[in-house]
Amino acid sequence: MFHSFKAAVLVGVMALPVQAMADTADGAVLIGQDWDAVVELARGGEVNWFLWGGADNINAYVSDYLGGILLRDYDITLNRVGLTDTVEAVNIVLGEKEAGVTDAGSVDLIWINGENFRTLRQGDLVWCGYTSTLPNNALVNWDNPAIANDFGVPVDGCEVPWSRAQFAFAYDSATLASPPRSIPELLDWIKANPGQFTYAAPPDFNGSAFVRHVFTYAAGGADQVLGPFDQAKFDATAAKTWSILNEIEPYLWREGATYPTTITQLNELFANSEVALTFNYDPSQFGLAVASGQYPETVRSYGLTDGTIGNTNYTAIPFNSPNKAAAMVLQNLLLSEAAQLEKAKPEVWGASPAIEMDRTGAATQTVFAAIARPVSVVSDAELAQHALPELQADWISAIEQGWIANVGQ
Amino acid sequence: MSGNNNWRPYLLLAPALLVIGGLFGAGLLTGLLRSLSYMPVIGLTRPNLDAYHAVLTDPMFLRSFGLSLYISVVSTLLSALIAVPAALLLRRNFAGRGLVSFLFQLNLTVPHLVGAIGILYLFSQSGSFARLGFAAGLISKPADFPALVFDPYAIGIILQYVWKEVPFIGLIVLANLQSIGPDYEAVARSLGASRFQALRHVLLPLIAPGLAAAAVIVFAFTFGAYEIPLVLGANAPVTLPVLAYRSYTDTDLAARPQAMAMAMIIAALSGLMIALYLRASRRGRV
Repeated sequence: MFHSFKAAVLVGVMALPVQAMADTADGAVLIGQDWDAVVELARGGEVNWFLWGGADNINAYVSDYLGGILLRDYDITLNRVGLTDTVEAVNIVLGEKEAGVTDAGSVDLIWINGENFRTLRQGDLVWCGYTSTLPNNALVNWDNPAIANDFGVPVDGCEVPWSRAQFAFAYDSATLASPPRSIPELLDWIKANPGQFTYAAPPDFNGSAFVRHVFTYAAGGADQVLGPFDQAKFDATAAKTWSILNEIEPYLWREGATYPTTITQLNELFANSEVALTFNYDPSQFGLAVASGQYPETVRSYGLTDGTIGNTNYTAIPFNSPNKAAAMVLQNLLLSEAAQLEKAKPEVWGASPAIEMDRTGAATQTVFAAIARPVSVVSDAELAQHALPELQADWISAIEQGWIANVGQ
Repeated sequence: MSGNNNWRPYLLLAPALLVIGGLFGAGLLTGLLRSLSYMPVIGLTRPNLDAYHAVLTDPMFLRSFGLSLYISVVSTLLSALIAVPAALLLRRNFAGRGLVSFLFQLNLTVPHLVGAIGILYLFSQSGSFARLGFAAGLISKPADFPALVFDPYAIGIILQYVWKEVPFIGLIVLANLQSIGPDYEAVARSLGASRFQALRHVLLPLIAPGLAAAAVIVFAFTFGAYEIPLVLGANAPVTLPVLAYRSYTDTDLAARPQAMAMAMIIAALSGLMIALYLRASRRGRV
């Protein structure tokens, strides 16, 4: 008895400093844990969040708004690490796994979706099974297939939704009265207006999404290319897609001899009136560009009537994060009514919530309903009328490789 | 005591060696292992040369290799052709030489990336020169301006390199000229050589090793640089480093060995350049 009591004290004393360091690399003890206990484990620690850093407004929302709440309410320090491409964070986690770093990784949270999420799962690099432990998980509608599947890959409790987005086009209403509103219209318009259109070359994220719209059109509709990758179907559809894209090539900017390599370059071309259309997977970017003076105030945006692709983006915790509790507290904060509402404000970001607004409180719903979108940004409701699901990640890689080999050269 | 002195240099060099050997060497070794398709994390445990075979038979790689080689050769030659006469002129005494020398060296302090963005703003089809052309009525729309960036001949990239490397080569040659001094040339002239003969047979052979060493550095840098072709280059073909990085950031983990094979080939070529540089600089030390 006495010995076991001494042993218990000893274990308790030894455990204390570990708790004070708030090392929560072992995720198993956090899953299903009482939320207050998770918060206590996270308190006083830090969290390293790796995310795309190319937009000042997003960076400010993350560092100032979210970082401020974390520090004030939980005494957690948020280190925002900006990336130009999410795959850089995936490469870090991969390198750590190869080097045998299993509990002291440098990445605690990644803003992610699609192919990069598939890579995380391919290399068994992501921590799973904890999402229902987050109290705000109740606001997420996991019955919605567009949330429960990330570019066709089941989420399986391995990531937490953050925002939703749907592809849209933008044009200057002062110089272009009626822009082309479907893929066939766009193809005709390109031939009638040589040099006025181009798209960012895949593997650029947005350029790749544009090519997927043409691919879906060539397939004869989204239904044809849903589901797992099918080589025979791909070969047939890809051949049509490349012939369409090669046919319009002479009518593109610079006769298609080159393509912008990033969406930023395409935006510059649009801002300088070198091309008449641009597009973005995040239409709120159009409003920000108008607000900053990069685009004229006459810019308007729209979705294609034959559909534009939408997706959900998420945050994920790597398997070797030493600050899993703090990362969970941050994820829970990201899902909170207040943070999702703040993010939806056009002057902050204008991103569509990933939570179900009808599950939120009456006050939140009222404020959300009153948010005024800038006139340059197409409404979610209009886009939602013609929403297409994302293709599965295997299709996307194949389309990108195929474009580079058959069109981009 | 003398035994003590034998290991002392190594002790003093240890921090530098640790950084070079530990960080660089270990990174190179990891890259080499991955390029041999050794990646236990995704189940690749049998080293082989598949990635090298795939890379070396890929027409895209060969086109990229050709483009990188073309950019490096043209940039190095142009830089040297402009830098040597400039250095010969700056060696003389003339009014305002201090100011000219200062302006000549100014570029060296500007980061490459800043220079690239400057080139972009000046030479793009909606850049400053295009706007001037429009204001002067020479062009009516952006497409009328010649394509000098994102162009198939890599003019923008070469412009940026020449702009940046002329002062670099120029300064090395100038330092070389100053350490040689006027004596050899004076002797040649007093023995009846014309100015051109003195230049051709005395000065140029004397500065050749330094020039060669500087040119090798420029060549190796322009061959391995990533950010300039990324900012100013066309989407296809891309230079070798851009292709390697694109492959490294491919979301499919199975593409990593090929990315690493490309990186190893670039590293091997850079190693070759360093060997050439060492040979050139050793010949220089008469």
